[in-house]
Amino acid sequence: MKILVCIKQVPDQESRITVDPEKAWAGYAENASYWINRYDEHAVEAALQIREKLPGTMIDIVSIGPARVKAAIRRCMEMGADQGFHLRYEHEDYLSPSIKSRLIAEFCRDRDYDLILTGVMSEDMMSGQTGPMTAARLGIPSAASVMKLEVDLEKQCLYVERELDAGHRCFMELKLPALAAVQSGINRPRYPSLSNVMRAKSTEIEEISYDDSLLDAKYETVEKVLEAGSDRAGLTLQGSTAEKAAALWQLLHERSLI
Amino acid sequence: MDHSIMIICEQSEGRILPVTYELLACAARIGGFYNSSITAVLPGNTPDTDAISGADLLVINSPGLAEYTAEGWEKAALLAAGELKPNIIIIAHTSTGYDYAPRVAALLDGSCITSVSGIELSDGSIRYRRSGFHGKLDMLYKEGKQPLVITVLPGAFPAYDQQAAPGMVRYMNADIQPVHTSNVHFSISDQSNTELEHAEVVIAAGKGIGKAENLELIREMAACFNRSAIAGSRVACDNGWLEYNAQVGLTGKKVSPQLYVACGISGSMQHIAGMKDSKTVVSINRDPDAAIFKNSDICIIEDLEKFIPAFIREAEKHHEGRV
Ligand SMILES: Cc1cc2nc3c(=O)[nH]c(=O)nc-3n(C[C@H](O)[C@H](O)[C@H](O)COP(=O)(O)OP(=O)(O)OC[C@H]3O[C@@H](n4cnc5c(N)ncnc54)[C@H](O)[C@@H]3O)c2cc1C
Ligand SMILES: Nc1ncnc2c1ncn2[C@@H]1O[C@H](COP(=O)(O)O)[C@@H](O)[C@H]1O
Repeated sequence: MKILVCIKQVPDQESRITVDPEKAWAGYAENASYWINRYDEHAVEAALQIREKLPGTMIDIVSIGPARVKAAIRRCMEMGADQGFHLRYEHEDYLSPSIKSRLIAEFCRDRDYDLILTGVMSEDMMSGQTGPMTAARLGIPSAASVMKLEVDLEKQCLYVERELDAGHRCFMELKLPALAAVQSGINRPRYPSLSNVMRAKSTEIEEISYDDSLLDAKYETVEKVLEAGSDRAGLTLQGSTAEKAAALWQLLHERSLI
Repeated sequence: MDHSIMIICEQSEGRILPVTYELLACAARIGGFYNSSITAVLPGNTPDTDAISGADLLVINSPGLAEYTAEGWEKAALLAAGELKPNIIIIAHTSTGYDYAPRVAALLDGSCITSVSGIELSDGSIRYRRSGFHGKLDMLYKEGKQPLVITVLPGAFPAYDQQAAPGMVRYMNADIQPVHTSNVHFSISDQSNTELEHAEVVIAAGKGIGKAENLELIREMAACFNRSAIAGSRVACDNGWLEYNAQVGLTGKKVSPQLYVACGISGSMQHIAGMKDSKTVVSINRDPDAAIFKNSDICIIEDLEKFIPAFIREAEKHHEGRV
């Protein structure tokens, strides 16, 4: 069995962002730290759990992004993935999921993956498109918001549980090859073991070239980034910790809430 | 009319759900700009359907559409798109919508914008607003290749006038059978939590509490109020700090207490969806740019490990009549 996990590296959400009015994009501070998109860590863990049940399974990792994403790919290999592939894209701007999914589908073409895993969304862009679009381009079934996965090699199918709104669930079987976009709560991602860390050190991450013309397709673009709209008055308390605590008590008391 | 908009109804067992009227409202706004024709499409196994207000209805009828599958819905959408040649396709951003809408966009090789929260019309152009960057910023999108598939957040548009004249209903009998998907069934969860549902004050913990032990702080803070309950973000529940029946948000509970205190919660739109109707919202977060502050009446930029004990001391002082 061959599994591909698509991962994205995202900025730590507490990193400062600045909006440059000249540019249609927001910049993160120079010293921003980056991590693996949380949902993708769950996807890697799901792949590792499948391999534990089906020894001999190969797990590949792929990520599109600038040089820094190698660190995220390496981390997945430290968790236990077998091979890492990097599609270089140097710009820090909006890259349409339509293009990303075309790049990933192109990458998959002759590699015969039985199962592709993605996160349900990326923490920074929150679009949730890359997974289902990749599946559609490959002509394979997909399920989003997956809370449970089991592979049945004999039947060549994937059993999935999807989370629906208000906590309801949907259960189904998808014919392999298939794609699942996993939701948090599916598992607890493991920490890298020392032996995997050592092994990952000596494994190359392969850079994959692709047809640049795919980047020129005229899909939707982001024209402007702006402050999120605010629905409430938003009074920010000032002073020392104790002063703020006293002010909060007073405000709640005035509103008969305490 | 040259410009055409197609919406796909949100339905349950052939019954059109109210969020469909929000999609119609969104379509009416865009349609007003382009002077578009608007058609609603209902995939299902429903040979006998009521008309809907404000738009014509095209029913794609097939036994294979008796229940939702991404495969079935995508085929129905492609069939309808072949007929209606839409410039824009509008789908609800629900657990079904985000499952199949990106697939439809890819198969039509159009553009796609998900979880749209607003439409901006200015200078003779139309822009789609959605949230990004961990909810801290909004982005304005310009459409690209057509058709453009958008998914619209439930609650983002006030429902379209349901008194408007009903449109025509047209049926298209199809033979759609999912071939990659089988054994589909559903379960209804029972995640009741009466204490949380009836609470007047909800103290909610997010990932920012850092560790299970800090739940004690949240409990002690809750104890400062009458009729209070504790709740959590999805991450707090995923981490096992709280049961899932205490999760607030899109996939958890919707609460509307007199007071909601968000402790170490970033304020992603999926969390906001569950608490935005609270009367007063207080947030404690150490990140001054956290999105939750945009949805708060009182903002406290502090480390919760320092602030909550200070607040508890303050409440005790008043309780003991020392002030
Ligand atoms: C389909 C779908 C459905 C979802 N449904 C839900 C849902 O129903 N409910 C839900 O909550 N989420 C839901 N989510 C997840 C949601 O997108 C967010 O990931 C989640 O709400 C984040 O939880 P959080 O705010 O606790 O954690 P984070 O986003 O990690 O935020 C933690 C916050 O704590 C702050 N912090 C850290 N340390 C401290 C400290 N010491 N003192 C003060 N502040 C601190 C940080 O600044 C940060 O803002 C859903 C996601 C998807 C894809
Ligand atoms: N740059 C990328 N490289 C590889 N996979 C990605 C990339 N961006 C998104 N993905 C995958 O697609 C999922 C959904 O991302 P998004 O469509 O951005 O919300 C992520 O959880 C990843 O699994």
